[in-house]
Amino acid sequence: MAKVLIATDWLAACAGCHMSLLDLDERLVELLNHVTFTSSPVTDLKHPPESGVTVGVLTGAISNTHNIEVARRMRARSTYLVAVGDCATFGGIVAARNLVGTPAALKRAYLETESTVDGLIPDSPELGMPLPTVTGVGDVVKVDIFLPGCPPRPEDFFYVFSEVLAGRLPLVLPSQHFRYD
Amino acid sequence: MSSIAITINGQKVSTQPGQTILQAAQASGIDIPTLCHHPALAPIGACRVCLVEVTGQRTLQPACTFPVADRMEIQTESPKVVRARKFVLELLFSERNHFCMACEMSGGCELQNLGYRYGLDHWVYPTYTQRFPVDASPAHHLMDHNRCVLCRRCVRACGELVANHTLDLRQRGAHAMLCADMDVPLGDSSCVGCGTCVNVCPTGALIDKRSAFMARPDAVDRVETICTQCSLGCGLNVVMHRGHVLRLESSWNAPVNGGLLCRRGRFEALEDRRTRILEPLIKEKGRSVPASWTWALAETARRVFNEVPEQLGLLTSTRLTSEALGLLQTIFAKHLRSAQRGTADGQTPALPFTPCGKLADIAGSDLILLVAADPVQDQPVASFLIKRAVDQGARLVTVESRPTELSAFAEATFKPRDVGIAVELVMAAARPVVIYGGGLTKSGAKALQKVESKAKFIPLVPGVNTVTAAALGLNGRFDPAACSTLYIVAGEENGTLDDLAARINPTAFVIVQACYASPLTERADLVLPMATWLERSGSFTNTDGTQLRAHAALPPSGQSRPDWDILGRLAERLGLDAGPAKAELPRCGA
Repeated sequence: MAKVLIATDWLAACAGCHMSLLDLDERLVELLNHVTFTSSPVTDLKHPPESGVTVGVLTGAISNTHNIEVARRMRARSTYLVAVGDCATFGGIVAARNLVGTPAALKRAYLETESTVDGLIPDSPELGMPLPTVTGVGDVVKVDIFLPGCPPRPEDFFYVFSEVLAGRLPLVLPSQHFRYD
Repeated sequence: MSSIAITINGQKVSTQPGQTILQAAQASGIDIPTLCHHPALAPIGACRVCLVEVTGQRTLQPACTFPVADRMEIQTESPKVVRARKFVLELLFSERNHFCMACEMSGGCELQNLGYRYGLDHWVYPTYTQRFPVDASPAHHLMDHNRCVLCRRCVRACGELVANHTLDLRQRGAHAMLCADMDVPLGDSSCVGCGTCVNVCPTGALIDKRSAFMARPDAVDRVETICTQCSLGCGLNVVMHRGHVLRLESSWNAPVNGGLLCRRGRFEALEDRRTRILEPLIKEKGRSVPASWTWALAETARRVFNEVPEQLGLLTSTRLTSEALGLLQTIFAKHLRSAQRGTADGQTPALPFTPCGKLADIAGSDLILLVAADPVQDQPVASFLIKRAVDQGARLVTVESRPTELSAFAEATFKPRDVGIAVELVMAAARPVVIYGGGLTKSGAKALQKVESKAKFIPLVPGVNTVTAAALGLNGRFDPAACSTLYIVAGEENGTLDDLAARINPTAFVIVQACYASPLTERADLVLPMATWLERSGSFTNTDGTQLRAHAALPPSGQSRPDWDILGRLAERLGLDAGPAKAELPRCGA
């Protein structure tokens, strides 16, 4: 049987969700008998293949226009899109910015920190533009499975992958794998 | 009353008319989720989480307020109900900041638990971004409006339970906000700082400052004990995490207070900053040096045994366990026949009325006569009970030489010389309660005797175990200057015994059993370290004669020992039967 293809990517994230995924440890070896990770932010190949994957995993919140682009690309190239972590599901800690507003957050971060000398708010056209409001991935693209958690524990990843591999969809997270605190 | 039959989820349930659907369901073990409902508060149906389907009703109905009727058919988890509940929760989560991961209540939050139960794994509505203020002005708790779901539990607790009416809602709809008085900071308001609102808050909107973020609510242990700050002996739960006390919480089934606590009992009891005495100390050449328990007890026994009864003095705190007070009676009254036996309360006058009334009687009374007592200062929870009864329509009449904070709630206040008029009012009432304090004069007591058979009398004594100490004859005359050997059980007394050191005969040998260092332990020739109220179990008889049981939450610190343990060992040294002495208590009507 051909291996199931999985691609992961991150948006406005701290990398904690990917760390948690790697914390599957020896279970990764078992998992790799059944799946191939085509691309991820922590491997050489960064982008999901144009030919598509079965499972696309996104971590992190939608914070700028670049995040929207990445999210749309992953959506277009995956059969099932999984939003992983509190940021991808709810906006998470990134959404704390919403409480002060984007302009105030940029000003504080780039002009006013105690160590800033001659600060400048980046405005290169190559960079994504920060959005007025931080949201979860579900606000931008259709998400098939939400897996909250900060981060979700390795066994939660394992559970979701196992269920998708077994074709048990739509997925309702049981309480032991459902934690957003 | 005849029972009626209803059907819940196809299950036949027998219930009483007048019950709500929620009560009927709970009585038969059917779980209906709630959020604004609290067992100690009147239901208001504010949150709509408990919606159920009632056959024949056009819309879903809140189970917490909807009364049952004969042959009613109810569905509590039908697809329609679940869809509505999820919708309600999505709306609740969409207002204000309900990000669980940075919340003190995460792990014990009722809103979070509902989110898990109904599978809320992402926001359905746009993230709400308005920022609300945090009011941290009270000394011991704070109000974070960002976490508030406007369930009004705190408003009802403040009004219905504490009868303080500080909290309320202002504005309407999405602009609705909790506020104190006429929208002033809580710390500047009429709030008495009892923390009942903190205890009933289902989310992290009202939290205890001292213990906030110290442990997840699902990782704590609770030990039920009683408060010894005043004479009521309110039941409470000590909340602990890995052997550290986090906070004190209401115990809703407690016999005396039914969950109420005051600022002193809930918060200040954990704020004692005095230096603990952690080992036996003996004075050598003017300096206190550590000694062993064996030696300290042997020396204590030798000293008290060799003293003549006339010059042997015993002074005890009335916050000791009945077991310890019983041992003090065995040792000092029965065995050593000490002539001087007093309590830290001073020489309390004998209580003239057998304690027939209970604090619970206040609730059903139509007239409360308060004589020579200031419960707002001395027994705050009793003042809550009185104000609650006044809210329910009871009339309050006070007899006092100086106005107290309760005078404002009184229909009439009389000077002590006019007690006769107050007695007339009691005569005319249907279910009168007379609450009297230690300041009751002989003439006042005589005047009140006229209504002894009609009214329920509730005494307010100073200490949590004053009743036992008095019953054991330990509250007699005590003149420190007349003693050449003194055994003083200072326990946790704070300030009340500080001036005593100066009045003790300079040549007297002073043994002090205490929890904390004080001028008295400085003066002492021998100090025996005692465990605090959190570190010992034991029995108490509170001011209205209710038997209470305290449970140790912590092991004794250092080498300190529970009061009864120290005295039991001393009795053993003296060759006495160290079995737990039972206090002989006055019985109602005896």
